[in-house]
Amino acid sequence: MKKTILIIISFAIAALCIVAFVHGKDTISLYDTEEAQETISNESIVIGFSQLGAESDWRSANTESMKTTFSAENGYELLFEDGQQKQSNQITAIRTFIQQEVDYIVLAPVTETGWDTVLQEAKDAGVPVIIVDRMVDVSDDTLFTCWVGSDFGLEGKKAAGWLEQYLAKKEIAAEDIHIVNIQGTIGASAQIGRTKSLEEAAEKNGWDLLAEVPGDFTQAKGREVMKELLCQYENINVVYCENDNEAFGAIEAIEGAGKTVGSNIDKGEIMVISFDGVKEKAMTYVLDGKISCIAECNPLQGPRVQAIINLLERGGTPDKFYYVDEGFFSADETVEKVTVDGKEYEVTLLTQEIIDERKNEFNA
Amino acid sequence: MNSKSVKSVNISTFFLKIFRCQIFIPIAALLLLALFNLIVDPSFYKITLGYNSAGDPVLSGNLMTILDYGSELAILAIGMTLVTAASGGQDISVGAGIAIAGSVVLRVLCGTNSRPDTLQAPIIVAFLISCVVAMLFGAFNGALVAYFKIQPMVATLILFTAGRSIAAWINNNELPIISDPTFKYFGGFIPGVPIPTPFFIAVICMIIMALVLKFTNLGLYTQAVGINESSSRLNGLNPAFIKFITFVILGLCVAVAGLIKVSRLSSINYSVIAKDIEMDAILAVALGGNSLSGGKFNMTASILGAYVIQFLTTTLYKFNVQSDALSAYKAVVVIVLVVLSTPVVREYLSSLGKKLKNKGNVKEVG
Amino acid sequence: MPFGKKVQNKFKNITDTNLLLMITIVVFFAMYIGAILFQGKGFLKPQTFFNILNANASLIILSCGMSLVMITGGIDISVGGVTALVSMCCAVYLDFHGGSLFVAILIALAIGLAFGLVQGFLVAYLDIQPFIVTLAGMFFARGMTTIVNTTPFNVANESFVALKDTRIYVPGFGSVNKLGKYVPAYIEVGVVVALLTVIILFCVLRWTSQGRKFYAVGGNSQSALMLGINVRKTKFLSHLICGLLAGIGGFVYFMHVGSGSASHASGMEMNAIASSIIGGTMLTGGVGNIIGTFFGVLSLSTIQNIVSSAGLDQAWWTGITIAAMLCLFLVVQSVVIARKKKTLKNS
Repeated sequence: MKKTILIIISFAIAALCIVAFVHGKDTISLYDTEEAQETISNESIVIGFSQLGAESDWRSANTESMKTTFSAENGYELLFEDGQQKQSNQITAIRTFIQQEVDYIVLAPVTETGWDTVLQEAKDAGVPVIIVDRMVDVSDDTLFTCWVGSDFGLEGKKAAGWLEQYLAKKEIAAEDIHIVNIQGTIGASAQIGRTKSLEEAAEKNGWDLLAEVPGDFTQAKGREVMKELLCQYENINVVYCENDNEAFGAIEAIEGAGKTVGSNIDKGEIMVISFDGVKEKAMTYVLDGKISCIAECNPLQGPRVQAIINLLERGGTPDKFYYVDEGFFSADETVEKVTVDGKEYEVTLLTQEIIDERKNEFNA
Repeated sequence: MNSKSVKSVNISTFFLKIFRCQIFIPIAALLLLALFNLIVDPSFYKITLGYNSAGDPVLSGNLMTILDYGSELAILAIGMTLVTAASGGQDISVGAGIAIAGSVVLRVLCGTNSRPDTLQAPIIVAFLISCVVAMLFGAFNGALVAYFKIQPMVATLILFTAGRSIAAWINNNELPIISDPTFKYFGGFIPGVPIPTPFFIAVICMIIMALVLKFTNLGLYTQAVGINESSSRLNGLNPAFIKFITFVILGLCVAVAGLIKVSRLSSINYSVIAKDIEMDAILAVALGGNSLSGGKFNMTASILGAYVIQFLTTTLYKFNVQSDALSAYKAVVVIVLVVLSTPVVREYLSSLGKKLKNKGNVKEVG
Repeated sequence: MPFGKKVQNKFKNITDTNLLLMITIVVFFAMYIGAILFQGKGFLKPQTFFNILNANASLIILSCGMSLVMITGGIDISVGGVTALVSMCCAVYLDFHGGSLFVAILIALAIGLAFGLVQGFLVAYLDIQPFIVTLAGMFFARGMTTIVNTTPFNVANESFVALKDTRIYVPGFGSVNKLGKYVPAYIEVGVVVALLTVIILFCVLRWTSQGRKFYAVGGNSQSALMLGINVRKTKFLSHLICGLLAGIGGFVYFMHVGSGSASHASGMEMNAIASSIIGGTMLTGGVGNIIGTFFGVLSLSTIQNIVSSAGLDQAWWTGITIAAMLCLFLVVQSVVIARKKKTLKNS
């Protein structure tokens, strides 16, 4: 008798769990039939978004942008999956989206390779795939509809170009520059582009590139590797951080070791160059002189993806690659313009007004 | 001739006494590591007095890193020793517990705005609330182990799986950042004091624990329950309650460690904070010579074990071992230690020792 | 005897193993049916079920090994680390040394066996606690994975990619997708390996004398010793088989993800333990059923599917749900044990 009760109780608890879940979602009640579900999905466009993780402020701003753009009020249903930095999670997410018959798949891939199989499955199922932020390296370009993101190589070239001009104007010899590169997650397009630009510039100018260490785009890792680098090398004077969070960590480590951060390399300060420029804290650091310059990386990709989806809904064909417009910030007046590949980019002199404007825009 | 043999026996028994002493294991490990570093690169021990950005004097160097990070581990080792001694198992949820405690602190200090300019509540209040929460989770683990008689490793598996999710949920999956400088004191430096604060916090915890062990029966009861549960019950103790209490104490230690960790970054990263720290804590207890199946324990040895583990970690970092590869080396150390302390191997070694002694005696008599 | 009384007697005579197994199967079906009723659409397609199998083939194999060790009264938390190490070693071998697929499989088996051998020896013959030995094993495996190769990469070896992409089509279960195309249902090669493992291990445990010995040693090693069973050899064998299965499971995992990375299979050992417990294996040993473990893995995966299709953030909610289920099952197990002790006392 007791055993029967036990069985019934476990059954009840399990059923209760499921019911609790579904009610938590607040869309489907116990009495809705499948037809009702169909009508709901016909009204709103279902989008499956596989985000790669939540490692940095940029990533959080990017996720937030997508969530606010594709909200229920705007007529969308967004299925959001956090891949937690693992490709296998993202592949599973895409397969689930295909199963759930979403209308569009948006993918922010954690690495460049390894997507051929699953993108082929999406293509066979007739679901368009839009890639955001990082690139995918596939053998067949038709496996994805289009790509929206930043030109990471250009960002890196802007930063390296700024450094080159700064050194020229301050008359500091190239041989005296000892740079360490705190890289992002290895294999990410952002890391590949920014690292390549630095390596090319270092070779061209004769800078001493001491080390390149991965910092995973996080503050904690940036601090950890900076500490180790400071122990290993006595003469570091420039730190090239591939995102703001790494820069925060590096600055903590440098100040914790008793050194000063700043642009005056000849006075023994250590210069920090960074990317992204999303959080107010990063911009404030630039104003304070702690970060010498930031190459902007725009995370607000939601509206751009929305425009592409609207185009596809109307039956149009979008361009293959959409590059986002980005700026370059510094509080140091030494360099006014940076020339990359024949094109001139203005260096925006940072003021408190600009920071407040951006705060409203990014809600940072 | 008689006096000579008596003398040699005295010396050998003296050495045997040292070897048998439990605290010998971590001290030996410490001396080994220290010697190794001294031979390979004496600059390892360099301590420099610098000034941080706020203008305060700070000591930096590898020894300082060991004191700094080892202190977090030492605080956890205190709680973990009690849990291991009483229930014969380990608590693998301490990393997740730290995430929860840190998350609670940040939540109380930040309120609903994740980037506040001022603190929403005094730090003490936040810390006390996180203590209560951490102790509640410790009580959950303790109840499962003590009253439902589930193996500790598996009971704590639940919190290990769900803890970081709960921590993220407390803050709505946001990453709150505190910009108030006084918050940084706990994980960093108090202005004017060159030694990192976590060390002082650890010392305070050690003193409190020493007083508790001396003036209450906690030590006696824990060891009794761990050695033989049924006979301790027959002697009038309540083993379930004792086990329960050890988990609650571990919860308190987790809250303190959580405050330190969150204070270092003034922020939190749910999946990364205190990753793999449970393994280090268990290692510290094992390195302290304590039996992992419960019973007698030596708190000082565990604390020393914690610092030795940190010493090992820092040494390996110095040799440019990647943080992921670190665990392979720690594993070898653990296995060697544990193998050496098994009764089988000990018998083998002591019989070897006896054989050598007999050889010597035979020589003398003859 | 009246019919009601007959049913009651039947229930009374169910052994604990069978009772826990029944609970597991009931819970799984309840969840799946609930998913179909409330989430509909995707869950009605048979391919969803096959996708669960595809994604979890390696977990099934690992859990089988884990159940075996738990039945014998021990535990093995190194299986996740071994999986990662196998993936990385095979990846490096295939891409950097241009090796053959067959040798890669042998490497996987060898690594798994090596771990099983060493751990089994330390546990069985040196009487060291299995938790600490396998904990060190896990540390060692994870560390070695990074030492073998620091950065993650995808394998480009052609014969491997061909094997990875092989699909075994299951006739009759296909469905028509949005475009009107008929998509046949498929399973991967790994699923076949997993199902074979489950069947073989189930038969061994149920119908061979060695299988009985595992249960006996786990139930009460003292009595097993007095029965004349070689307790040390049995424990050693259980760890050895678990290690071998970890090697096989590792290769199946490698076939599924197609890359080598230090962060592969992280937390997999905990999933294997959770699956075993949900499947009715008791930690104290002597009780357990491979079929239950199989359903445990399916239940775990169904939860993940339900969570993601409900639009909730899978990463966080899955952890909480699995923990809740684990808690539930642990409590049920302890109630069963307490009842067993009471009936023993009364008789």
